[in-house]
Amino acid sequence: MSGPSIFFEDVNERQGGFLRRTFLLGGFSVLGLTALSVRLAYLQTLQTSRYRSMSAENQFNLRLIPPPRGVIRDRNGVVLAGNRPSFRLLVIRDETKDLDTTLDEVAQLLPATAPRRRSLLREINQSPRFVPVAVATDLTWEEFARVNLHAPQMPGVMADVNEARFYPFGGAFAHVIGYVAKVSDRDIERIRKAGKDPDPILHHPGYRIGKQGIERSMDEQLRGTPGVQRVEVDAGGRQVGEDAENTTAPKPGSDVVLTLDADVQNRALEVFGEESGAAVVMDVRNGDVLCMMSAPAFDANLFVGGVPSKTYKLLSEYERKPLLDKALSGLFPPGSTFKMATALAILAAGINPKERVTCTGGYHFGGRTFRCWRAGGHGSMDMHNALKNSCDTYFYAMSNRASVDRIASAARALGFQSSFSERDFGNQKKGLVPDTAWKRKTFARDPEWHAGETLSVAIGQGALQVNALQLAVMAARIANGRKAVQPRLVRSIGGRAEPSGAAAPDLPFSQEHLDIVRAGMAAVANDVGGTAYRASQLGLGDILMAGKTGTAQVRDYKDGQSRKAAEWKRKDHGLFVAFAPHDAPRYAMAIIVEHGVGGALAAAPRGREIMRTALLKDPDMRARIERPLPDLGAPSGAPSGGEPDVYQPTGPAPTDEAAARIGGPVEEPR
Amino acid sequence: MTASALTRPGQRERLPSKLGEIDWRLAGLTAIIACVGAMMLYSVAGGSWEPWAAKHLFRFAACFLLMLLLSLVDLRVWMSLAYPVYAVALILLICVELFGYTAMGATRWLNLGFTRIQPSEIMKVAIVLGLARYYHAASARDARFSFKLLIPVAMIAMPVLLVAHQPDLGTAMLIALTGLAVMFMAGLSWKVIIAGVAAVAAAIPPFVLFVLHDYQRERILTFLDPEKDPSGSGYHIMQSLIAMGSGGLLGKGYGLGTQSQLNFLPEKHTDFIFATVAEEFGFVGSFTVLVVFGLIIATSLRIASLSHSHFGRLAAAGVTATFALYVLINGAMVMGLAPVVGVPMPMLSYGGTVMVTVMIGFGLIQSVRVHRYMELPKGRGLF
Repeated sequence: MSGPSIFFEDVNERQGGFLRRTFLLGGFSVLGLTALSVRLAYLQTLQTSRYRSMSAENQFNLRLIPPPRGVIRDRNGVVLAGNRPSFRLLVIRDETKDLDTTLDEVAQLLPATAPRRRSLLREINQSPRFVPVAVATDLTWEEFARVNLHAPQMPGVMADVNEARFYPFGGAFAHVIGYVAKVSDRDIERIRKAGKDPDPILHHPGYRIGKQGIERSMDEQLRGTPGVQRVEVDAGGRQVGEDAENTTAPKPGSDVVLTLDADVQNRALEVFGEESGAAVVMDVRNGDVLCMMSAPAFDANLFVGGVPSKTYKLLSEYERKPLLDKALSGLFPPGSTFKMATALAILAAGINPKERVTCTGGYHFGGRTFRCWRAGGHGSMDMHNALKNSCDTYFYAMSNRASVDRIASAARALGFQSSFSERDFGNQKKGLVPDTAWKRKTFARDPEWHAGETLSVAIGQGALQVNALQLAVMAARIANGRKAVQPRLVRSIGGRAEPSGAAAPDLPFSQEHLDIVRAGMAAVANDVGGTAYRASQLGLGDILMAGKTGTAQVRDYKDGQSRKAAEWKRKDHGLFVAFAPHDAPRYAMAIIVEHGVGGALAAAPRGREIMRTALLKDPDMRARIERPLPDLGAPSGAPSGGEPDVYQPTGPAPTDEAAARIGGPVEEPR
Repeated sequence: MTASALTRPGQRERLPSKLGEIDWRLAGLTAIIACVGAMMLYSVAGGSWEPWAAKHLFRFAACFLLMLLLSLVDLRVWMSLAYPVYAVALILLICVELFGYTAMGATRWLNLGFTRIQPSEIMKVAIVLGLARYYHAASARDARFSFKLLIPVAMIAMPVLLVAHQPDLGTAMLIALTGLAVMFMAGLSWKVIIAGVAAVAAAIPPFVLFVLHDYQRERILTFLDPEKDPSGSGYHIMQSLIAMGSGGLLGKGYGLGTQSQLNFLPEKHTDFIFATVAEEFGFVGSFTVLVVFGLIIATSLRIASLSHSHFGRLAAAGVTATFALYVLINGAMVMGLAPVVGVPMPMLSYGGTVMVTVMIGFGLIQSVRVHRYMELPKGRGLF
């Protein structure tokens, strides 16, 4: 101890002060700890239920299980759009050691993934770490087995089976049924605009939404209800457990049965071959559409997994436009197939159908000659013969007596410029039937309707625009005995039948007038001189067709100019409308062969084949054909109209030469 | 061994007597906390000694030995080393400022080649030693209020400013509060205390607005309303509150805390380990841990009050104040009563640096206890 430097008062004062302060420090500490304890007690007793639920929200996630999409079938139960198992290879980024090496290894197993490597890397890196990304889909069984064999040695790689949409007929139904594809931002936008909340399942990776046709319009019904799985997750979202009790199974989407007949539709695509155009077949009694085909088609399966841009470019740039639904979106001038509407308007104007017009190959009107398709003229024509021969001069002469507005209203009553069920025929375009009101509204500079324009409309040219479905509806309405039948495509949804198109008001035409027109159509197909006689022989006993050919001009022809354009795009359209049997109509049909040169040449023979298929599938028709043989003693022979050596068998469309040889018209009415 | 035996000259200096004088109750309480820490670390690792629990126990064992060793060190040695330790710590802090190692936007480490050290941690003990040494020599009047107080104020201000500049606001605040606690214990006048508190209260708003870094300000704003931004910076506090609240009275059970086991609770093994205790053992468990911390603080303060030397008193009380600050700040932070500042729960949280600092502090406290009867010269020299 060094020097006496201790002053006792000071020491005592320091010690006493320190003791007081020690109590205070202890007091502060106790105060602080008490405050913490009170806070703890508040959190852990009073607030427990609130934080318990927040903790459970953290711990459990609801995962959606995509439901199987409803199957689309034809009227006989044939699957048109179904689901098939697809073997996939998935990569989970979180579990891979090194993504690059993993992709290298995958490329060794499946060389097809090598070229897509960059986009795959991007896709994998963009999705959450623990979400499996499909690197390859639709593996063959061998590939799937190979992946399964090697997957245990490749962390982060797994193989699984999921359901993929499948269109067994590939292209035949591509337009009417459409296809499904990945959900795009635009789809979400569209649903929002419709005022609905987008279903959370839409954000599920690998979920597909209907993009076209029935797949799109019936998407909600086909979709089903997603299952909900309650899973335990960690903070990173990885699944660590499953709560089996709170898991609900997905409810599959409703099956949709269409009125289509796969055989008729396939036959239609088949007979079109390379040609471009559309074919529609309808049941005249109830509007059931048996066939609605657009050619050329594309394989809808391509779009399910995402169509490669090269393929898409080829499809969209091809001049015959496979992506366009020509049955509904394609608008054509109807040509002579419109003459039934004109004829009904003429009759409605009170003109006697027996009144004759002499055709000398043209009609002079307003200082101009409107030519008939047969340069030599038809001679004296009444309405029946004018329909049968498709004599333009008769209709030129009568058109202004009927007036364009009467023609337009007859046309509209038959279904032109009208749209049908938006759900069933989403792609449809209304087209145009011109009249004076339209002229006034559209042409401010020249609002006056000129009588000369009526002449063009009377033979189905001018501003007239129709689609194939409207043509078929027209044929059905003429055929079915005055009923304004509505076409329908959806027969039942999830087992519940849809209303048929039979409950329809009567047409504003008298039965007598319709009979005259029908007789004219029967003559077209069955009188030896009819424009479609050769191409309309069904060869089905006494079942005969009634029809009308049409050739729609694509451009104006000057005098002496050849009508056989070399360039496909400048050739005339060939059209054909028909119904059968002509005595008790059941099926109506419209065929458009785009730039097919002529109705009798290109459209009618194809129509005959499609009609035969439809008739042969109908049990009533079969019963009529296969009725018990009459008394063997009686000289019966083949039923009328069916001379086998005259009948043109199934085969390619006759060439010009062949058509000329068998006496059919090479040239066709405009 | 009777009391009279200890009065024999040299008897107190013998090792067995010294070991007997160590406060084994206090040592036991620290061991309990460390074991609870290891238990929780085992749980949050998904029932595994790796990577934290085993290391935590091993570290504690090593630090415990270090504490015993330090408790045998003569209080005179502590006192003579007080200024040098403070000076070295200050120089190291200046070195950090000049050529420190930068990680995560802050320069806190000095790279010594074989290891990295964090001088701000050394300063936590050094400031206590330095101030205790200063006040030991100062008179009661000087300690109450005189111009000489500028010396301890400077001794506190220099390291605090250096650490705050790193920037490590949590540690700077801890050093400042420790220093102020020692000044308070030494008998600072109440007038000065009240004036100081008033000045600080007035200075806080401009400080928050103009001096703080954006992330620091954000932390404070988030603390005021954690649910405003539950996925961003309020996430820590929200998840911690959910963990504790969902624990309820009795907890979810050992190893069954979903918040910590499924990683919703961030920093579950370091700063937020107390929330894990609260989640798995409920209010009963977490309150018990707080009581143990309270007992440690009370025991330490009693040791301080029994010391015959002013240096011993102030050193033990200063270390206790540091320890109490750790516990209170971490507790308040975990419970959403204070902003997230990165102060761990001593001995409970995983982390070597704080463990070493705190156990050195307990070594000092034990040394004060062992040498409580020792009278120390007032010595005005540096050593």
